[in-house]
Amino acid sequence: MSGFHGRYLRIDLTQGVSDLRSLPEDVSCRVLGGVGLGTWLLLNESRAGFDPLSPEAPLVFAFSPLVGTGLTTSAKFAVVAKSPLTGFVCDALASSHFAIAGKRMGVDAIVVVGACAEPSEWVTGTLRPTGSWGRSAAETAAALASEGRVAAIGVAGERLVRYATISADGRHAGRGGLGAVMGAKRLKALVVDGDVETPVADRAALETRAEGLRRRAAGPATAKYRELGTVGNLLAFDRVGALPTRNFQASHFEGAERLAAERWRGERSHRRTGCAHCTIGCEQRYATTRGGRPDVRIEYESQFALGPLVGVDDPDAVLAASARCDALGLDTISAGGTLAFAMECRERGWLSEGPRFGDDVLPWLDRIASRDGFGDRLAEGSRRLAREIGGSAEDLAPQVKGLELPGYEPRALQSMALGFAVSSRGADHNRSSAYEADFSDTVDRLRGDARSVEAAVSAEDRAAALDSLVLCKFVRGAFDDLFAESAGMLAEVTGLAWTADDVQAVARRIVDLRRLGNEREGWRPSDDRLPRRFLEEPIASGPAVGARLPAARLEEMIRGYNRTRGYEDAGWVPRARREALEVELGLDFGACGGGGVDEA
Amino acid sequence: MGRAKAWLPWFGGRTLVEHVVERLRPAVDEVVVVTSADLDLPPLEARVVRDREPERGPLAGLRDGLAAVESDFAFVTATDAPFLTPAYVGAMLDRGVACAPVADGHVQVLSAVMPRAGAALAERLLTAGRARPLALLEALDFVAIDEGELDVGETPPWLGFNTPEAYLDAVRAEDPGAQCEVELLGRAATDGVPPVVTSPVGSLGDVLAHVTTGRELTLVEEDRVARAHLVSLGGRDLVRALGLPVGPGERVTVLDAQAGG
Repeated sequence: MSGFHGRYLRIDLTQGVSDLRSLPEDVSCRVLGGVGLGTWLLLNESRAGFDPLSPEAPLVFAFSPLVGTGLTTSAKFAVVAKSPLTGFVCDALASSHFAIAGKRMGVDAIVVVGACAEPSEWVTGTLRPTGSWGRSAAETAAALASEGRVAAIGVAGERLVRYATISADGRHAGRGGLGAVMGAKRLKALVVDGDVETPVADRAALETRAEGLRRRAAGPATAKYRELGTVGNLLAFDRVGALPTRNFQASHFEGAERLAAERWRGERSHRRTGCAHCTIGCEQRYATTRGGRPDVRIEYESQFALGPLVGVDDPDAVLAASARCDALGLDTISAGGTLAFAMECRERGWLSEGPRFGDDVLPWLDRIASRDGFGDRLAEGSRRLAREIGGSAEDLAPQVKGLELPGYEPRALQSMALGFAVSSRGADHNRSSAYEADFSDTVDRLRGDARSVEAAVSAEDRAAALDSLVLCKFVRGAFDDLFAESAGMLAEVTGLAWTADDVQAVARRIVDLRRLGNEREGWRPSDDRLPRRFLEEPIASGPAVGARLPAARLEEMIRGYNRTRGYEDAGWVPRARREALEVELGLDFGACGGGGVDEA
Repeated sequence: MGRAKAWLPWFGGRTLVEHVVERLRPAVDEVVVVTSADLDLPPLEARVVRDREPERGPLAGLRDGLAAVESDFAFVTATDAPFLTPAYVGAMLDRGVACAPVADGHVQVLSAVMPRAGAALAERLLTAGRARPLALLEALDFVAIDEGELDVGETPPWLGFNTPEAYLDAVRAEDPGAQCEVELLGRAATDGVPPVVTSPVGSLGDVLAHVTTGRELTLVEEDRVARAHLVSLGGRDLVRALGLPVGPGERVTVLDAQAGG
């Protein structure tokens, strides 16, 4: 089958050896690449209940059938592991030349197991001590640039911060602490290079399709990302009462206008860049000081998490904090979320030390990354910190399954609230972009109902398809029918007949696979819940004042989601479906789920 | 109407429900607001009671409201009664009996005085399959007051509205020069238009037409808000329908349609 190499590279760091292992063709067709293949490899290479920071924990870098083709935004790879933050299956994507170079090694994925005896780097087949330990990912990549394309961790990964990232070309596989998994293996960097071409069944047809997609991706469907980028969200979210502020105590920030991209454009130097093989060019870079060089890449999620969420309205401070997170290898959302939670606890007198709202967060980011003093507690994430504090602190920790919420106020965006609750990765906007429905006139965003359920399921399916092809989600608006056009791409790449239904079936299989993986790792129905704050406190002020998300409403939506997915009412994957997937994918999910009783 | 009446803007930066509560408060011991289980409300100086059986119609809500009051008599009004005055409410309550005005031959059921004991009667009527509030007034043997007996001025305090046009007429009756404001964000803000402009109140279509007149900015396509944009009314309703009303002091925000990550 074209489009795949049919094998993966397995690196055993403990033994210092690597070997090529075959991938069954039918598995490749059933899960594609990216998050689908990565999840399959993770589950295939591990036993239930393993410690994500142990040597046995697999760390998977998964490529995809479209990588290396001329399709815009296809140069992405997925990192998949068990998250040390959530304890569940986690995947994170990054756009990078690393994806292209990795696949040119003649493999569909790289699986790293074991751990090095000393800090090391794996460079195109050679494992050697690293001289980059203690340096940033960018510095590490610069030092190794002549040897290939680099995925590396920063100091946060070395110190096992539970929300450390893995970085490639300055882009981060950011969520869930996969950098800590790499750090636990004492692997500073993975360097790939190769010259193996991926066979494509109908290159001419694919090039025609790629040209069409490039043209559409340069049109109005992606104009928002090109013109202002995701930072254009901040003022819009503020105006509709959806901007999380001061640890979700408010949804409207008095300093929002100072942080608005619309205003920045007139005030500071700016330039636009793009990822590898991308014709959208959504990266917005600004100068940290007026008159400075526009070097800091910032997205809405970093802007909100290091701004309104922690009570900071100084744009220079927000840009500097975003740059510092990038340098240290910290997930900006979890860093901001954990800091904001600690700030509220400090405000309430539950903590006698730690940051306060409005503080300069730079020193705190440094302490987190180095686990210095109180930073050591912050490095554990908001859920673990809350459990340490005790009492009702966990009600206020802004997380689902341990993963901190991105910048979407769930009481004001209730389709997204459902997406947060049921997502296998935890509170997440990239695996469930149900907010798209909330920002439309097709649902009532302040009163989630059956339409929200439909939107959440559909958004999850589309995300799973894009994340396994892999294509960037920013191109999604350029498709008239994502599944049908994806089928066309896959047919041209693989030479097999694909239909829209086939692609949608793959997407649903991946959603089920991740859920079963979570069941294997101890998921319970009570994990699909939002913190109590969101269910008991109405929004107190601002445009969405009074908005409530009663627990009964969320539970009804979750039941609707489970029914739509074909799960049991409590959320377990039915035994018949699990057994069918075990046969299809050659996996053993063990004695998980299947109508268990929720004891939590 | 297309929008929740309680949240429609009135003057002074208040929503209609806030305005009506404010008008009631000087005339009564306590304001009780009955609302459906699903409708959120702004913070009010009132006790909020959830309608236990909204599917049974307005009489069920009236029953729940009367059951919640502590006074012997309650003045009953709808949310869409912006011209209510404390003097009128006080005068009605001073009658000390179940009563309601009659205007143009119509009993103004939702501008009436009813006894707390009416709650039990309402329950019996509901059980008998009678769900209209007028049935309760009739069962209470209410006193009908001809509007001529009431000093209510040109705009009667029970005047309400059920269409966007009627709402806007009521707004203009209060202030013929009422204005709203339009904020242009995202891509709309980069088109050289000042970020906030004012417009007379009107339908959303009228307001957007006012904003774009003389400017190279397309906000409407095919009788809807253009695909590239989405409009927030008052920060709550996200809409594309041009017939929806925009009220006094209301902020219309034009957003990028692809808001989010």
